[in-house]
Amino acid sequence: MKKGLRWKILLTVAVLVGAVIISYPIQDKIKLGLDLKGGVHLRMQVITADAVTQETDQEILRLEELFKKNSITYLSMTRRAPGRFEIGGINADQEVKIKDQLDQYLRDWDYTFSGTTASVSLKPPAAAAIKDQAVDQSVETIRNRIDQFGVAEPLIQRQGSEWIIVELPGVDNPERVQDLIKTAAVLEWKLVKGGPAPDEETLLKDHGGVVPDDQEVIKGDAKRRAEGFYLVSKVAVITGKDLRMVRRSVDEWNGPAVAFQLKPDGAARFEQVTGANIGQRLGIILDKKIQSAPNINARIGDSGIIQGRFTVEEADDLVIILKAGSLPAGIKTLENRTVGPSLGADSVKAGLLAGLIAVLSVMIFMIVYYKLSGLNAVLALILNLVIMVGAMAYFRATLTLPGIAGIILGIGMAVDANVLIFERIREEHALGKSILNSISLGFSRAFSAIFDSNLTTIISAVFLFQFGTGPIKGFAVTLIISLVANMFTAVFVSHWIFDATHSKASQKLSI
Amino acid sequence: MPLILFKTPKIPFMKYRFVFLGITLAIVLAGFLNIVFGNGLKMGVDFAGGTLVRVMLKTPVPVSEVRQTLKDAGLDNSTIQETGKAGHEFQIRTTQIVKAADAQQEIEAHQKLGDSVIAALRGKDGEAETARGLKDLNAIDSAGLTALLSTSFAADAAQITEKISGPTGLRTSKGILTDYAELQEAGIKPEVVTFLKDKTFLGKLTVLSKETVGPQAGADLRRKAVLATIWSLIAMLVYIAVRFKIEYGVSAIITLTQDVLVTLAVYSFTSREINLAIIAAFLTIVGFSINDTIVIFDRVRENQKAMRKESLIAIMNLSINQCLGRTIITTGTVFLTLLALYLFGGSVINDFAFCMLIGAIEGVYSTISTSCPVVLWWTQIFKPQKAVTRKK
Repeated sequence: MKKGLRWKILLTVAVLVGAVIISYPIQDKIKLGLDLKGGVHLRMQVITADAVTQETDQEILRLEELFKKNSITYLSMTRRAPGRFEIGGINADQEVKIKDQLDQYLRDWDYTFSGTTASVSLKPPAAAAIKDQAVDQSVETIRNRIDQFGVAEPLIQRQGSEWIIVELPGVDNPERVQDLIKTAAVLEWKLVKGGPAPDEETLLKDHGGVVPDDQEVIKGDAKRRAEGFYLVSKVAVITGKDLRMVRRSVDEWNGPAVAFQLKPDGAARFEQVTGANIGQRLGIILDKKIQSAPNINARIGDSGIIQGRFTVEEADDLVIILKAGSLPAGIKTLENRTVGPSLGADSVKAGLLAGLIAVLSVMIFMIVYYKLSGLNAVLALILNLVIMVGAMAYFRATLTLPGIAGIILGIGMAVDANVLIFERIREEHALGKSILNSISLGFSRAFSAIFDSNLTTIISAVFLFQFGTGPIKGFAVTLIISLVANMFTAVFVSHWIFDATHSKASQKLSI
Repeated sequence: MPLILFKTPKIPFMKYRFVFLGITLAIVLAGFLNIVFGNGLKMGVDFAGGTLVRVMLKTPVPVSEVRQTLKDAGLDNSTIQETGKAGHEFQIRTTQIVKAADAQQEIEAHQKLGDSVIAALRGKDGEAETARGLKDLNAIDSAGLTALLSTSFAADAAQITEKISGPTGLRTSKGILTDYAELQEAGIKPEVVTFLKDKTFLGKLTVLSKETVGPQAGADLRRKAVLATIWSLIAMLVYIAVRFKIEYGVSAIITLTQDVLVTLAVYSFTSREINLAIIAAFLTIVGFSINDTIVIFDRVRENQKAMRKESLIAIMNLSINQCLGRTIITTGTVFLTLLALYLFGGSVINDFAFCMLIGAIEGVYSTISTSCPVVLWWTQIFKPQKAVTRKK
């Protein structure tokens, strides 16, 4: 045996065995993309201004309390924009005290005084931090909800400053999932003061057409068949934050409902308010929509049910949402793709068939045209495919349709590498060089072309991977893997097979 | 003796460089005119936004009928394409212009349009059955089916569902169920089939896919695709300029631009749409073409070292001819692969394979017609003495 050949064979066998072990069992190791497996792909935007608005409102509340405590007088405190509010009607003698408070407690805020008004605005870095946190929190909340919904291998990923990508393989009910994700899940119980009325005008007739100060108008949720407009008190009796436990249950007509238990604080408040308002209605409000408005028949303690003519699925989803917590900001959909499992299965079947026909025809051609050397190329090609699968399994890469395009390009270039080498060997042999010399020259002279073309493509694929979106990334990954495997199989493995099968005594070059 | 299909010929390719240039410009110009003044390029939902719905019907229906149904529902601005099994599978793209106050309303409006396409095609089918409390077995999701089955077959519900709508289930592989007898043939117990007959019906349509892309997402996908392509082209330019010479890098980029333009031109004359998968096809074309180009450049580089006295034109001609056998064999095998994909690849892969077939031919053409001539022209303009004086 020639020097070094043993090591080359060992290395090749090790790579081959490693690839096979890594990729077994193949259906568990190679993940199929949504386009091949079916599923839901959503791109959503977190309305980060919502979070800033909330922060502003909270600071206003806090400041109002502080001013009260320090007996600072002013006329009004109003939010003008997300992250900006105004304190109006300030007397000149109060200015210093107010500045003092602002400096001490609102460090993340800038302020300017002009006349009797102070304009207070959130510093840009602080606003950015709040927005950033809102997106991270949304990702966490969505992940909790999806986990409880039970999807195998979901992908929930932040993209850029305010986008979130959600990919759910195998899910075949996009509407349900979308509702599950988008529901802000702000749950409140409020006393109903009037309604339901078909429109706001009728609702406010008793109040002379104006909404009373301590009340607000809320629409019924058409989905829950709680149509019309309601007048409810502004202050919530309890909210979702007071919940200790929720589960699906049934109402008195045996319809699906959600049962809840309250934490001690909330329970005390609930008991007191329900006791004082027997005979009135209590509105259950989810995301500013009345779900149902049952009568308070008796004092209610620490538990109760939410009813709203739910289906079993809707009740389940509400439980999930309440358990996972509310979203810090609103969410809107930018992109929604649902691929049914049968379309994906069709593509996989067709792709496999086409791939098989293609690979077989290429192999047959190589053997017919290059004879035994062709067989060598076929071995290299098979090894290339095995390494390809192993590498995809190792990197947990997902196979998509564009990924298949990457593999095709890879196979094309692998065949090309062999063709380049063989043509070169033939050329050198035709010039009268010896068999061993022809082989050696063929490989070395063809090498620069193979190296440069593969490396150029690898470099460009790296950039595609870096800058591209999903499908383009999928293409780049399989291409890079397959080209790296190509350099190994076509140049290294193919070469030692030639070396091992030819010696000085060889009479014929089968090419 | 080796089996040789292509002996190294002596075709004076470089002599025809102006003819090639004329042909190339003519195709690109025709494509340009068609894109700007004619049919234009059809942007898919990925880039233009909107909704794309793929449906499969139980019984075959002519395209004209689908068109009429949508027209009656006020959706006459939809483009309808028959894909896959004739009369059974349709791809419908709503192209109604949606005017909305903000992006969110716009995407909701697009989603609604998609829903109304499905509703229009479904028509009154299944209304009576649904009113009686039956479920559509062709539309029900796996969770719903399991829940339904567990009322009578608690132990086997999940397993039966798997056989119907699981990844390898009957409904999944067929797309749509046409007859309850099929279920029995697929190994589902007669009592289960009887139960399903009792509780479900077979609706006339299933939704294979539904994709809605809003304006912001579309713009982002477009921007990223362009950015990725530009960066990867720059990377190639730099690498080739370093490994060869700057003029080779420039020529490679011009060649690739030609590939994209010519393929786009041909593509514009078909009714096919540009989507993200087509971008991947273009990248593949670019990959094959750069490979071809570099193989020839490599040969030119090598021959230049060996034949210092020859003119650049002669060396280029020789190099193209020496590589011709390899070019034809490689492209031939790639072409075989693509042809297989085109013929057997299914409806989703079809556009993609078509695009690559054109690109594969164009890739070879551009390597011969453009790569070397551009290097030659560059040399004639910037280093005239080198191009001429080397002649004996």
